[in-house]
This record gives sequence, structure tokens and C-alpha cells, in this order.
Amino acid sequence: MNPASRRGGGPHLALALLLLASLLGAPATAALPGRTVVLGLALEPPNLDPSATSAEATQDVVYGNIFEGLTRITEQGRVAPALAASWSVSDDGLRYRFTLRPGVRFHDGSPLTAADVRWSLQRARAAGSTNPLRELLAPVRAIHLIDELNLELELSRPVAELLTYLGWGNLVVMSAATAANAATAPVGTGPYRFVEWRKGDAVVLARNADYWGTPARLDGVTFRIVPDASSALAALLAGDVDGYANFPAPESVAALALDPRFTVAVGSTEGETLLAINNARKPFDDVRVRRALAHAVDRRAILQGAMYGYGEPIGSHFPPHDPAYVDLTHRYAFDPATARALLREAGYPNGFALTLRLPPPYYARRSGEIIAAELGAIGIRVRIENIEWAQWLEQVFKNRDFDLTIVSHTEPMDYDIYARRGYYFGYSNATYDARLAELSRTREEAVRMRLLGELQRQLAEDCVNVYLFELPKLGVWRRDLHGLWREAPVQGINLSGAYLDGAATVGTSSTAAGPTGRVLAIVALGILALGALALRRHVSARHLLGRAAALALTLLGASALIFLLVNVLPGDPAAYMMGLNANPTAIAHLRAQYGLDVPAWRQYLQWLAGFLHGDLGLSYTYRVPVADLVGQRLAVSLPLALYALALSLALALPTALAAARRPGKVLDSILMGLAQLGLAVPNFWLGLLLILTFSVQLHWFAAGGFPGWDAGLLPALRALTMPAVALAVPQACILARVLRAELGLALAEDYVRTARAKGLSPVQALRRHALPNAMIPALTIIGLQFSFLLAGAIIIETVFALPGLGRLLFQATAQRDLIVVRSVVLLLVAAVVLVNFLVELLYAVVDPRLRDGGAR
Amino acid sequence: MTPAWRPPAGLAAGMVVLLVYAALALSSLTAAFDAALTIDIGARLLAPSAAHWFGTDALGRDVFAMVAVGTRASLGVALSSVGIGLLLGVPLGLLAAARGGLVDDVLARGSDLVFAFPSLLLAVLLSAALGPGALTAVIAIGVFNVPVFARLVRGNGLSLMQRDFVLSARVAGRGTLAIAFDHLLPNVATLVVVQATIQLSLAIVAEASLSYVGLGVQPPAPSWGRMLNEAQTLASGAPWLAWFPGLALAFAVLALNLVGSALAARFAARVPGEAS
Repeated sequence: MNPASRRGGGPHLALALLLLASLLGAPATAALPGRTVVLGLALEPPNLDPSATSAEATQDVVYGNIFEGLTRITEQGRVAPALAASWSVSDDGLRYRFTLRPGVRFHDGSPLTAADVRWSLQRARAAGSTNPLRELLAPVRAIHLIDELNLELELSRPVAELLTYLGWGNLVVMSAATAANAATAPVGTGPYRFVEWRKGDAVVLARNADYWGTPARLDGVTFRIVPDASSALAALLAGDVDGYANFPAPESVAALALDPRFTVAVGSTEGETLLAINNARKPFDDVRVRRALAHAVDRRAILQGAMYGYGEPIGSHFPPHDPAYVDLTHRYAFDPATARALLREAGYPNGFALTLRLPPPYYARRSGEIIAAELGAIGIRVRIENIEWAQWLEQVFKNRDFDLTIVSHTEPMDYDIYARRGYYFGYSNATYDARLAELSRTREEAVRMRLLGELQRQLAEDCVNVYLFELPKLGVWRRDLHGLWREAPVQGINLSGAYLDGAATVGTSSTAAGPTGRVLAIVALGILALGALALRRHVSARHLLGRAAALALTLLGASALIFLLVNVLPGDPAAYMMGLNANPTAIAHLRAQYGLDVPAWRQYLQWLAGFLHGDLGLSYTYRVPVADLVGQRLAVSLPLALYALALSLALALPTALAAARRPGKVLDSILMGLAQLGLAVPNFWLGLLLILTFSVQLHWFAAGGFPGWDAGLLPALRALTMPAVALAVPQACILARVLRAELGLALAEDYVRTARAKGLSPVQALRRHALPNAMIPALTIIGLQFSFLLAGAIIIETVFALPGLGRLLFQATAQRDLIVVRSVVLLLVAAVVLVNFLVELLYAVVDPRLRDGGAR
Repeated sequence: MTPAWRPPAGLAAGMVVLLVYAALALSSLTAAFDAALTIDIGARLLAPSAAHWFGTDALGRDVFAMVAVGTRASLGVALSSVGIGLLLGVPLGLLAAARGGLVDDVLARGSDLVFAFPSLLLAVLLSAALGPGALTAVIAIGVFNVPVFARLVRGNGLSLMQRDFVLSARVAGRGTLAIAFDHLLPNVATLVVVQATIQLSLAIVAEASLSYVGLGVQPPAPSWGRMLNEAQTLASGAPWLAWFPGLALAFAVLALNLVGSALAARFAARVPGEAS
């Protein structure tokens, strides 16, 4: 080998290092403002105009936050002034005079006037209005403007509940100029203003600095959509969300209540959860059939099985916490025999078949499965059909095309729906209507109580629906977050009083740049050292060049394959990313924004060029550079993989040495037998068992989550310990078996015998002579293991809810963020290929026979 | 490298366990299992007992029955994906050995490419493009198996090409295909079988991992991986939900490993690591 070739190796290696550095060294993000919170939302709102939709998810986001009404409902359920500072009611109850708060401005800067209020109410009660409360405004005869800040509602008959109605989310005040765009760009008067809505991902709000009342103490709120109940817990533990006003996984609430990191607040809602029946359709028009259904359903079983004991059984359409509540849960006791008898009487001795259409909420899907089994027990054959909200609204609610469905009616005081003609229950009863009308005229409390009781009894008697339970409000949020409501007397997640303790930063999004940079620097230095070592030991330039070319070819092929799978296979990636409810304009905009409107080959080249510069593009869902996301996540995944690798070596080396000391003896057999057993344990199951033992039983470690490197080295390493063990053990078993086999071979070699004859002890011979030779094949395994550890980390991060690369990949896949998916995958592939390349270099260092790429 | 430690009774023990699984998978098709899989809230989250050997889940379904039915998904996906590997990989390897040239180059570059993807990554990528499901899992695991068999067959086939009986067949004018299938295939068959048992055990773990993260077999069909996922949130009150599907998984892997190493010992075959 001549000096020239020695120098020749330098540039190529430097190139490889540079490539690596450009991939890893992307600048990390600056921390986000510390006073914003991310709240999880199980359902995405269909639009953001609360005056046009009955979707609860819309109210959750906008009511009390963006929009306000004349009055508001307090957490205790009382009426309080909001945009109206005061009001007076005439003695006959027919005239309501409101005085508005002066100086209130909409988020677009325009002042609030009485004309806006009148316009909003007129819009809600107009003929073509889709406002869910339109019928409640029917008694309003006229709305008179008095001046800028005063107006009067004139009624045709007294409406005792009017002030309450005006506090509900559907009757909020909008301005005529902006209401048309409220579905996508709502402009209100509330403590938060709308920033953006990333379809399928999140709705972002920021503090309204010009708020008329006490300004919000949070800088902003992001409602992140987490549609899958099973990932809700993981998102919370991983810090992806700071809390849920309505946590969709009741099975985890008991465990979270014991976790010092979280506050659990179980309250009640106004949600009567019904097995709703199409009363207009045969055979459900027969009250005996409806009563048979009621007798067949075991509410206790549903509350246990679907709700894990949270929620209260109900026997009519009325919330148990209301003073006027009458307990009718015993009107239809769980009694399959009676149910069968009623079916026989109605002419269905052999039962019949029906379809149960289930909307997405967890309570509906879970209760549905149980109810289907229970109805099966009385001979009713149930076909379950899971549908999306849009379909539910269209088919069930609007077109009344259903047999049975399960839904929670979360509007307060909504017993009037039974008097609405054309409502999806298909129910009508003149007695009921008359009592309801009487109630509306009555202001005397005792009489109202009596009438409300009669309404409840009538619904139970007619068995309009099977009344299941009052939906609980399961609030779970970070312990340092305060001011969220426990109770839900009105729809909406009211954040006007929410605040964070101290100066705590938020979520994992604020993982600081420093530690990430340090980790990357350490890795880069290690690689540099390896490279320098390889060069000093005269690795031939030709060999290096050949391997580097193969490496480049592999990476090129892999990137092409990824690009084909991700960008070409799904057809139009822009349409795919936007999901079902995208419109052509938005898709075209996205296509232009992400450069998806140029030919595929150019997109590919642009992606590659960006990749080499460390510019991985902008994430579609997170709206931050992918490189930043990757940098933050790498600060978890890379230390985890290295930790696991170290543990694996620490376990395998002593085991193999101990076993090889006396080949074929008891210790050897036991250790290698254990290794064979350990090999059979999948790492994610081991992770689960570790959680069961050390978190659930012994409380030594948290069951998941990562505090971030900011929290200090020890807490961070502590959070990575169980995951690293779960990753390391199966790998250690493989390594131990390979090392043991190689040691066995080496011990039989002449040089070891010579060493023994020279007077070395068996242990010394093993360590000094056999081990170095056994390490060469072990290196292959260690190189391969890095690939397994990275892949394994994808799963293990899910088990332990760690915010690493694997979790990012799954989230991006679920959110169809193809921009993130393709770069993360290529990065992982590059890491695997580069490590294998380095291992090959290392061979040449430890074994001179391999320097010119010969032998092996 | 040679397998270090071969349990003498390994083959018998492994075969017995595998037969038990086959019996479970078959018997899970009977009506008795349907009854055990119906929802019974009164019997929810019961600890293991004589009536419910493995206890019951959150909806009162018998966990033993679910594990048995899960065997079908697990073995089904594993067998199909290894089948893909065999059907595509073996002929490819034979051709590369017998003919060399372009086929060989394509194989070498292709396997480099596939091995560059950590196994699960390919599955995640495919389900991003195709949507999750059993078929995606089969394809993803199957694709990974193709170069495993192709490289094994090629490597051993190349050394066979130098042997006298192949040389004489070539002198006799036999074509590439004839040599590949008449002379090479019978001589690599045992190696392929040994490798197949190892790949089966890897495929079973891969399927369970995919199901665990929701990318494998979709509900309502029970699968071990998804049972483990569902067990996680209930683990504090009902740890048996996490034990039994995991044990079923571990025993299947152990049995296949035992059979694999016993076969390897029997045929005195050196089974190379899958990617070396």
C-alpha cells in the first residue's frame, strides 16, 4: 500500500461523514411560547360555525372561547351576564330588554352593536336556517333595536327558559360581515381568536389581547384531534397532548387518578345516552316491541362493560343531577323472559333482524357491541354498522333511515325534541306536547317541577327510546393545568379561566435545542474517531471507494423505492393528505405549496437535493420543518438505541465468557438454555411484562412517557431504562449465543493451547486470546443489531409512549403526513446502511486479513 | 458459525408444541369456540379458573378461545409470507447460481436494498400506501423473506456448481434451468427447510408486532398482537390478559427455534445468519 492511496481514503470518508452530519445536524427548533396548551379532541368538528350545526365537537372548540352569547351558563348551570351586561323582563313575560356591554369588539376590530345581536338571532330563526335551536325561537315575534347598545325581544307567549337558551352555543352573536365564513374562519368576541384549522389534525386558537373581560391567561390553545381511543392514553403519556376535557378511554381513568403527573376530574354532562329507536318504522311502531328492547338491555352491564362504571343509569330523557329528576330506571327491569314474552305478544315469537348504526364515539361503539349480544339473547339478530359522523347526520338524523342507533344527547333541557315533528325518533304524542307547552308558560318553580316529572314519566311509559345512562365527563389533564371545568352544564370546553402553574414549558414540543445538539455532536465525534482509526490502519482507498459506491447505490435505490411507495402509489398525495372532506381548491393549493404539481421525477430530485442539504421540507400536520421534528425525536430514539446496545453487550459478554469456561458443563447448558428462551420473547411483550411488574406492581418506574432531557440526565435515563431493557434482552440472547459459539471454536485453536501451555490460566487465555478473535463475527451481529434496535425502537416507543422517531412515524402515517413519513423512513434506512458500512470499516481495523475486501 | 447448544429433545418438544398449535387452529373453527367468544358482561375480567382457563376479557369473552382463534391469524400470516419468500426467493437464487450474470447482479443489489430497511419499517411504509390489514402484513413480511432465501440458495448453489456431478451434467449439455432444478434444488432443499423454520418464527413475531401497533390483522378477528395491545390499558386489574397471548407467542417462537436448530444439527448444516 502506498502513501497516495492512504491519503486517497481521506476525502471519501470525509464525504461520508459530511453526508451524515448534514442529515443529523439540522438545526433544532426554538422552544414554543411556554403558555400554550394542547388539548385532545376525540372528534373533529365538521365546521366551526356553531349557529349552523348540531355537532358537539364544534361547540367544544368555539363556544365560550371564540364566540359568546347575550348570556352565559356558569359551571354550576346558572345564567349569568355575558355580552348583555343587564336585562329586564316585563311582568307578562313577553318583553325582554337587553343592554349590551360597551366597548366590546369582534376579533376583526369591528365594534359589537345591538344590530349584530339582532342580525344573529334573525339568522337563527329565519326560514332556511339550519340552526338546531330554530324551533325554540318560534315564539319570538319581533326583535326591536332601541339604540346602539339596547334591544328588545318581543314574544308571542312566555318562554320561561329564554335566558338559558340565549346562553347556549347555537345562539352566539356574530357579525354580519364575517358570519358567512364562520365555518372555516370564525370571528367572535371571545377570549381566544381563531388562528388556523389544519384538517384532520388540529384547530389552533390564540389569546385575544383586546378581550372585554378578564383576558385569557394562556397564550393559546391547540385542540388536537386524537380519533383513536386506544391512542388517547399514549398521547397523554408521551406529552403529545396536555389533557382532555372529555377523555375517551374510561378504562384508564382509575390508573391516571393515581398518577401524580395528572389531575383527573370526573363530572357530569347533560348527555342522555340513548339506544334511539325509529318509532315510525315497523316493528318499532309497536310499543310492546320497544318495551321488549328495554327489558332486554342490562344498563348495569353496559355501564360496567363500556364505561368501566363511570356514568349513571337513567330511565327517561332527564339528567340525574337536576332537581326535577325522577328515578325511572326500574320501570323496565333487565328481564329477558319478559322481553321474549312481549315479543311473542307483538307477533314476533322468533324475533327479527335489525341494523344498529353506530356513530364514532367510544361509548356508542362499545355499548353497541354489548347491546347486540343482549338483543341476540332474546332472538333479535343485530347487524352492527359502524359509520362516520357525516353519514350519521345524513342517514340517521336527517333521512331517518335507521332501525336503532346509539347516541348521547348532550344539549341541556332538550326534552323539547320529543315534541318536534320530523325529529329522527319519529315520535308524536299530543299529551306530551300539551304538557311541554304548559311548562314553557309556567314560571312558578313547584308547578314546573311537577310538569317536568310528568314529561319524564310519559317518555318512559311510551318507551320512545331505551334510556341507557347519563354520559360522564371524564376530565384528565396535566397537574399544573388549572381552571378547566369539571362539570359540563352546557356543550363546549370553556377555557376562559384556564392557566398553567409557574413558568413551566409545555409538552415535548419544547425539547430544547442544546441537548439534541450535544447528542448529535457526540455521535458525530464517535464516527470521526472510528474513521480516523480506520485510516491510520491503512485501509485501502480502492476498497473504501467500492464500498462507498455500493452504499450510495443502496441509498439511492431505497430513496426511489420510498418515493414510489409514498408519492406515486397513493395516486394524488395532496388529496390523500387532505382526507375525505377536501375541496379541489384546497387540494390545488396544497399541491402547489408542497411542489407536488411538477412531474414525479423532478419532485424526487428536489426531495433528494433537499435531503442532502438537511432540508426535509415542511410537515403537513405540524407545520414545522421536518428536520426539526426529526431532531427532537432523534434525541430520544438514538440514546435509547445506544443504551440498549450497551446493555445488550453488558449482558452478553459475561454470559458468553462464563458459559465458555467449561464447555458442555451445567452452567453452559443453563446459560445457553436461558438464552434460547430469551430469544423467544418478543421485545414488546417483554416491555409489557416490565410495565406490569415494575410500574403496576412495584411502582418503581412510570408506565410510560419521557420528561425530556431538560428535566435532567437522571430522570431522562430513568424513563429510558425499562424500554432499553426490553430492547436489549432479546438482542443480548442472540449475541451471547453467537459469542459462546465463537469462543468454543477459538478455544480449540492452537494459539490458545499454546497460551495455556505457556502458563496462562484458562480465564486469562479466554480473555486475552479467544475473546478478540470471537469479537470479529460478533461485530457483524452488533452491526445487524443496530438495525434491529432501531426497528425495535419503533414498537417499543409505542409500548412506552416515548416521543421518538418511531412514534413520529406512526403518527405521521395515521395523519397521512407523507412528507414526514418519507423522510423519516429514509433517515432510518440511511442510519442502518451507514452503521453496516462502519462495521465493515471496523473489520478491517480489527482483522488485517480483511483489508482489501478479500476473505469474507 | 455453528449453533452452540442443541437440546437433544428439542425436535420432539418443538414438534409437539407445533402440533398443539395446529390442533388449536383447527378446533377453533368449531361452534364451541363461537359460544366462548360471545359477549357476556356478567363474566367480564374474570381471573383464570376451571371454567375459563385463561380468564376472560373486558367483554367477558373467553381468553383461551381468543388465543386459539388468534393462532389462525398468526400462523396464516406467517405461513403465507414465508411461502412468498420460498416461491420467489428459491427460484431466484437457483437462477443466480446456475446462470450468474444479470440475474446475480439484480439479486445482489435487490437484497442490499431490502435489507437496508429494518423489517418493520417496510411494513409501516406499505401500510401508509396500501392501508393496514392482514394482506399488507403478508406482503411486507413476504418481501423481506425473498432475499433471505435467494441469498441462501445462491451461496450454496455456487459451491455446488463446482462439484463434479454438476460439471458432468453441463458437459452432457443440460440447460441452465435443468441444472438449477434437477441438480441444485435437491441439494439445497434441507438448508431451505431449516431456514424456513427460522423465518417462520421471525414472521410470527413480526405479525404480532404489526398487529400490536394496529397495522396487522384488523378487528374483529382476534390476533395475539392486538390482544396484547388491548391488554395494556387493563393490565393493572387483569394482568392475565397480557400473559396468555404473549406466552402463546413465545411458545410458538421457541418451538420453531428448537425444531430449526435440531434440524440444522441433524443435517449438519451451517445456517448462515439471514443477512450475512
